[in-house]
Amino acid sequence: MPIAGKPSALLIGDNGSGKTTVGLALEILQRIARGTNRVGDLVKPKDFFLGRTDAPMRFEIDVELKTKIYGYSIAFEFPQGLQALGVKDLRVFEEKLTVDGKPVYTREKAQVHLARSGQEKEAKFLIDWHLAALPIIQEQSRSDPLFILKAWLARMLILRPIPSLISGDSEQETLQPSPQVTDFGAWFAGLLADQPSAYTKIDKYLKQVIPDLKDIKNPVVGRDSRSLVVQFSNQQGSVNMPFEDLSDGEKCFMLSALVLAANDAYGPLLCFWDEPDNYLALSEVGHFVMALRTAFQSGGQFIATSHNPEAISRFSDENTLVLHRKSHLEPTIVRPLGDLQVNGDLIDALVRGDVEP
Amino acid sequence: MSVNENQPHVWVLPEDDANRQLANEFHQWVPWDRQRQMQVLRVARGWNKVLRLFQSVHVAEMKRCAYRLMVLLIDFDGSEERLVEAKATIPVDLADRVFILGVWSEPEALRQAKLGSYADIGKAMARGCREGTDRIWAHELLKHNASELGRLREHVRPILFPPN
Repeated sequence: MPIAGKPSALLIGDNGSGKTTVGLALEILQRIARGTNRVGDLVKPKDFFLGRTDAPMRFEIDVELKTKIYGYSIAFEFPQGLQALGVKDLRVFEEKLTVDGKPVYTREKAQVHLARSGQEKEAKFLIDWHLAALPIIQEQSRSDPLFILKAWLARMLILRPIPSLISGDSEQETLQPSPQVTDFGAWFAGLLADQPSAYTKIDKYLKQVIPDLKDIKNPVVGRDSRSLVVQFSNQQGSVNMPFEDLSDGEKCFMLSALVLAANDAYGPLLCFWDEPDNYLALSEVGHFVMALRTAFQSGGQFIATSHNPEAISRFSDENTLVLHRKSHLEPTIVRPLGDLQVNGDLIDALVRGDVEP
Repeated sequence: MSVNENQPHVWVLPEDDANRQLANEFHQWVPWDRQRQMQVLRVARGWNKVLRLFQSVHVAEMKRCAYRLMVLLIDFDGSEERLVEAKATIPVDLADRVFILGVWSEPEALRQAKLGSYADIGKAMARGCREGTDRIWAHELLKHNASELGRLREHVRPILFPPN
């Protein structure tokens, strides 16, 4: 994915070209960082492209954080010998964490090599082949590269929200919302507990989008639970509305406000939002996308997918990637839109189906 | 519902896709709490279509909405008459609220002149507009905009880049 150095990028392509899959791949790395270490809970044999188990399935990411490049990769295998024995889970073939190219740890199958700096000796130990090592290796401090990368991966915002499932109720706090953001209430509570000043940003953004918004409260409604209530007011009076009663589009505004505030509060974050234009009025799509693009100019990275002409029009050829595959039997190829010959207006060309690598 | 209607706002009508991209990259550098005061419209597909669309749709809309300013983003195609020709289509009572800007040839020439990507150029244009500097606007391909730029800074800068 040629997106290094771009504060924001757009993925476009036909249905089935692989745009959402980019988010799903990121989600696997995120789940490892959030503590899911059993390989069988991360990937399945069916995830091998065309069932080709003769080559490992590999996930790699390079992240620049405070001028250092953190690299993490993990590869899974499903040897035919295991399949013949009736084993159903994949196992780790290779795993590696590096900082500026220097290994923090490397792993081949069960053998983990832990690099040590200074006087410490390199450590070696064995680990179950069916477990990812990243969540298991103990970090020494908050400045340990293991901690830094794990925290960053865990806090990536991979969003495929389903507004009708977002109620605003919560029983805990989190800074790690789920892709469907059904834990919106917990994220709201977690963000404000972590950085109370984040409310100012949330409030400022929302009052531009929803001018009659007065405030958002998160009162205790049970022994351990809270429920978001949104108050609207104007010269005619005011009304309180449970969060769940907001429209789908209004819930997306709330979500965007949290994304902007979260990137300020505990960023820089990677935000992958699958079709952020869903549920929005046409007059709002451009503003919505542009606010997200601008917010990530100062740090972090925003990646969107879209089929919406208004959303697509807010990006440039330089930060738009085209995903394409000729058939379900061939892999996806990715090309910067700027490398393709597009005649005339981009939207027209997309409607004609004339944007192909 | 548009929240812009009762506040000063700027609509940009680009001639083509390249101008749209430049406008978008400029827009990104408008402070986030002012971003909704700007809107890049769909491309008109030709400088003469920009003028026709302006006359057929936007003249009436601008008369209805006193807070609206418009930037017509066209290619000059090396024509000294282009600005005069374009200005002739603007009703006198709207002349103060309409601005005509564009590259002397076409936007791609800016990239070929090694001014960077559209993202770089848009950023530099926004900085020039915000800070009142002429670094990029003085370039050979953009310097013909000087008079319109002066008006733009007077009227548009307070909307998109208000002083702190």
